[in-house]
Amino acid sequence: MANLRKKAGRAGGVPKLPRSGVVKVDRHICLTCRECEVGCSLYHEEECNPALSRIRIEFNDFVPGFPSLYVCKQCAWPACYYACADILQESAILIDRATGARFIDEDRCIGCGACLRACPLTPEMQVVYDKIVDGRRVYYKCDLCKDRAEGPICVEACPAGALTFVPARDKRKRDG
Amino acid sequence: MYGWTGKILRVDLSSGRVSHIDTSRYVPQLLGGLGVAAGIAWDELKPGVGPFDPENLLMVMVGPLTGTLASGAGRVEVAGIAPQQRPSRFSRSGMGGHWGPELKYAGFDGMVVQGKAPRPVYLWVHDGEVEVLDAADIWGTGTYATTVALRAKHGLRTRVISCGPAGERLSRIAIIQTETGSASGQGGYGAVMGSKNLKAIAVQGTGGVRIARPPHFLGICLNASREGMSPAFSSPDPRKPGGQPEYGPHHRTRKCGFCMTHCTHKIYMNVAAEGGSGASTAAQHCWGYDASHRAHIEGRALTSDYGINGWEVSYGIIPWLQLCRQHGLIDSVDGVEIPVPQKPIEYMRDCAPSPAEFLRVLLNIIAFRKGPLGDALADGACYAAERLFGGRGKPLLDRIYPRHAGQTEHWAGHWGPGGNIYWPWWLPVMLQWCVDTRDPANDSSHQWTSHVQFYLTQSGPYRGPFPLEKVRAVAAKVYGNPDVCDPAFEYDPSDTKAIPAIWHHHRGMIVDSLVLCDYENTRVFSVLSEDGAADTALMSKLFSACTGVETSERELDLAGERVFNLLRAIDIRNHGRDRKVDESTIGGFMYPGKDDGVVLDRERFLHLLDRYYELRGWNKANGWPARAKLEELGLKAAADELEAIGRLG
Repeated sequence: MANLRKKAGRAGGVPKLPRSGVVKVDRHICLTCRECEVGCSLYHEEECNPALSRIRIEFNDFVPGFPSLYVCKQCAWPACYYACADILQESAILIDRATGARFIDEDRCIGCGACLRACPLTPEMQVVYDKIVDGRRVYYKCDLCKDRAEGPICVEACPAGALTFVPARDKRKRDG
Repeated sequence: MYGWTGKILRVDLSSGRVSHIDTSRYVPQLLGGLGVAAGIAWDELKPGVGPFDPENLLMVMVGPLTGTLASGAGRVEVAGIAPQQRPSRFSRSGMGGHWGPELKYAGFDGMVVQGKAPRPVYLWVHDGEVEVLDAADIWGTGTYATTVALRAKHGLRTRVISCGPAGERLSRIAIIQTETGSASGQGGYGAVMGSKNLKAIAVQGTGGVRIARPPHFLGICLNASREGMSPAFSSPDPRKPGGQPEYGPHHRTRKCGFCMTHCTHKIYMNVAAEGGSGASTAAQHCWGYDASHRAHIEGRALTSDYGINGWEVSYGIIPWLQLCRQHGLIDSVDGVEIPVPQKPIEYMRDCAPSPAEFLRVLLNIIAFRKGPLGDALADGACYAAERLFGGRGKPLLDRIYPRHAGQTEHWAGHWGPGGNIYWPWWLPVMLQWCVDTRDPANDSSHQWTSHVQFYLTQSGPYRGPFPLEKVRAVAAKVYGNPDVCDPAFEYDPSDTKAIPAIWHHHRGMIVDSLVLCDYENTRVFSVLSEDGAADTALMSKLFSACTGVETSERELDLAGERVFNLLRAIDIRNHGRDRKVDESTIGGFMYPGKDDGVVLDRERFLHLLDRYYELRGWNKANGWPARAKLEELGLKAAADELEAIGRLG
C-alpha cells in the first residue's frame, strides 16, 4: 500500500485516475474480416499475426448469433493497474496523459500476470495477453495506439464501422 | 524471409511421409500461390497423369501477401489436374474465407498433397507440424458436419477445408468447401481430395507474417482505395461499404477474412435444409434463379454441405436439363417435374425458376450418384451429355459451354450469368476464353468488364461517370493505347482488344500468385483520383513493402507473364494444347450476344487472334510460345523441354 500512497500523492486515499478513451465495439455489424487483428499486430509487433493482437474476434458461423469482440475497456477503476502497483515499486502499468490509456510498459513488466488475474473480464473475455520477448514473459494489452496521431489503428482498418474511438472527454460527458 | 514463410508442406499420403519444399526455389520469380504451383507442376507433373491418379498433385497455395493487412489477403489458390475440365487439364481455382491465412500462420506457403491414402484420413496442421489422422468417423458426412466435428476436436479457432459426399464419390463437380461461405468451386478439386482418400485439412497457427517495411506497408494498406468494383456500388463514403449491413438473430452480413473492400455477403443460420447434415448455414452468393427465397437459401446450404459446385448446377446443369426437356429428352428428375419456360431457352435469363423441391431432389441424386441420371450428372453437364439420351443432349451444350470444356460461359456477353456486357467489350474476354484452361472470369475478366462498363458513359444502358475523353486519357496511361476503351473501335485495330486481354490476364496471374482478390485488383478507373485513373501500381507497392524485394509495376507484370507462359507450357506439354483447341472455343460464341444482338464475325476474330499471339510472342500458326519469349521471361528450361518434344513455337 505504501506504493499506492506514493503514487496517489495523498495519504490514505485510492488515487483518482484520469478517465480514458476507449475503443467501442458493435458486434452486431462486425463482418468478421479480422482486419483489426492484423492491423493491430502490424502496428505494435511489426508483423501480421492475430495471435499477437490486442483486439480479438471469435465467431462460429454454424451457430446463430453474432461474433464476439474482445478489447480492453480501459476501466475508470482499472484493477490491473492497482494490482501491478501493489507488486512493483515502479508500476509497469502506466496512464497515458493524452488518451488516458492504461498501458503496460513492457520494459518494466516482470511477467507475473497479476494484471490478467485482476482484470474483471478474465477469463470469459480475456483482453490481457502474454508473449515471450527475448526469452522473457511480458504481458500486453490495448494501449489505444497512444503514440499514433491518427488514433487507434483497428478503428481505421475496420471496413464495417463496427469500431469507434470514444475519447476520454466524450466518455466523461456521456457518463455524467 | 519476409512475406513468405519459406516452407511448402509436402504430404505423400501413400507412404505417410512428410517433407518440405524450400519456397525460395520458386520465389521471387514466380511470386507465390499459383505461380509456385505452376513451378512445382512443371517440375513434377508428368504428361499422362489423370485427375484421379495418385500422381496428381493437389496444391493448396497461399502467397506472400496472404494473412497480411493487404485487402483481399484471405484467399487460397488451389491447383492440380482438374477433373471438371473436359478433357481434364492442369488448372486452378480460388477460394476465400479464413483458411489460407491460418495455413500461413501455421508456417507454410502452401501444401502439396500427393499419393493416395490406404484408408480415409484427414490432415491436422498446427504450427509447423502435420499429422495424418484417421477420418473413419467423418467420412461420409457433409462438409458442415466435418467442420463442426474437427472444430470440436481441435478447437474453435481451427479452420477446415473439406470435401463432401460428392467429393468422396469422385463427382467431377465436387468442391472444396471452407466454413459456410467460401469454396474452391470450378475445377472439381473436391473429387481430387476424394480420390486421395483425403476428407479434410484442419489448420491452426499462432505464427505471423513478417513484413519487410511495416510502417510503409501499413500506410499503403490503409490508404488503398476501398471504393468497390464500380461507381454503381460505391457508397458516399468510399472508406466504408455501401448500404446498411443486415443483421438479425439468424442472418447477418459477413466477409471473407482479411479484406477491407466493399463486397459482403449474407449468411443465414439455422436453415432447415432436408437432407443436410444438421448444422445448416447458407451464404448467399452467385446462384441461379429460384422460385422463392427459401429455395434459394436452401439450395445454397445443400450445395455447400454436399460439396457440389453450385455455379455449375444452377447455371449449367439445370438450364441444360430444361433445354433437354424442351427437346423432349427428359421430363422429370426422380418423379419431380423439371421446371421449364414457355418459350425456347436462348439465354440463361430465359430459364424457369427452380422450386425448392426440385433442387432438393436434384442435388441429392448428384451428391450420392443415385440412379443413372444422378450418376451422369455428378460429372457435370459436359460429361453427362455423352452418357445420357444417346448423346442427343450434346448439341444443347453449345450455348452454355464454350468448347464443351466443363465451365459455363460467364462475363462474355453470351449465355449470361454474371451481368450484362456489351459489344465490343466482350471481345477481349473471348480472347481470354480461347487461351485459358478454365473460365477466365475468376481472376482476369472481372477487372476488365466491370470497370470498363461501369465507368464509361457509352456502354450499354449503363451511364458511367466518365466522359470519353477522360476514359481515353486513362486508357493511354494504363494500357499505353488511348483507343483501348473507345467503343468506336471493334475488331480493328486489333491492338485495342488484344492489349487489354493480355494485360488483364497477367494481372489475374499476379492476383492468383500474391494471393489477393480479383474483385478489386486491378482497378483501372477510380472516381476518387483527379485524372480518373486508379493506382495500378498498388500490387507492386504492396509486394515490395511486404517482401522487401523491390519490384516495379513493370517487373511485376513481367512476373505475371512468366506465370501465364509457364501455365501455357504445362498445358502444351501435358495436354497437347495448341491453336486448334483455342479456336474450338469460338463455336461457343457464334450466336447473338444476349444484350446487344451482335453476332461474331469468325474471320475477323481469327485475325484478332493472330495479333493476340503476335503480341504474346507466340507462334500464330500453332499457338506455342517462341523460344525468344520464354527466354526473355527466364523460362529457358521450359523452352528446352518444349523443343525436345517438338512443341516450341
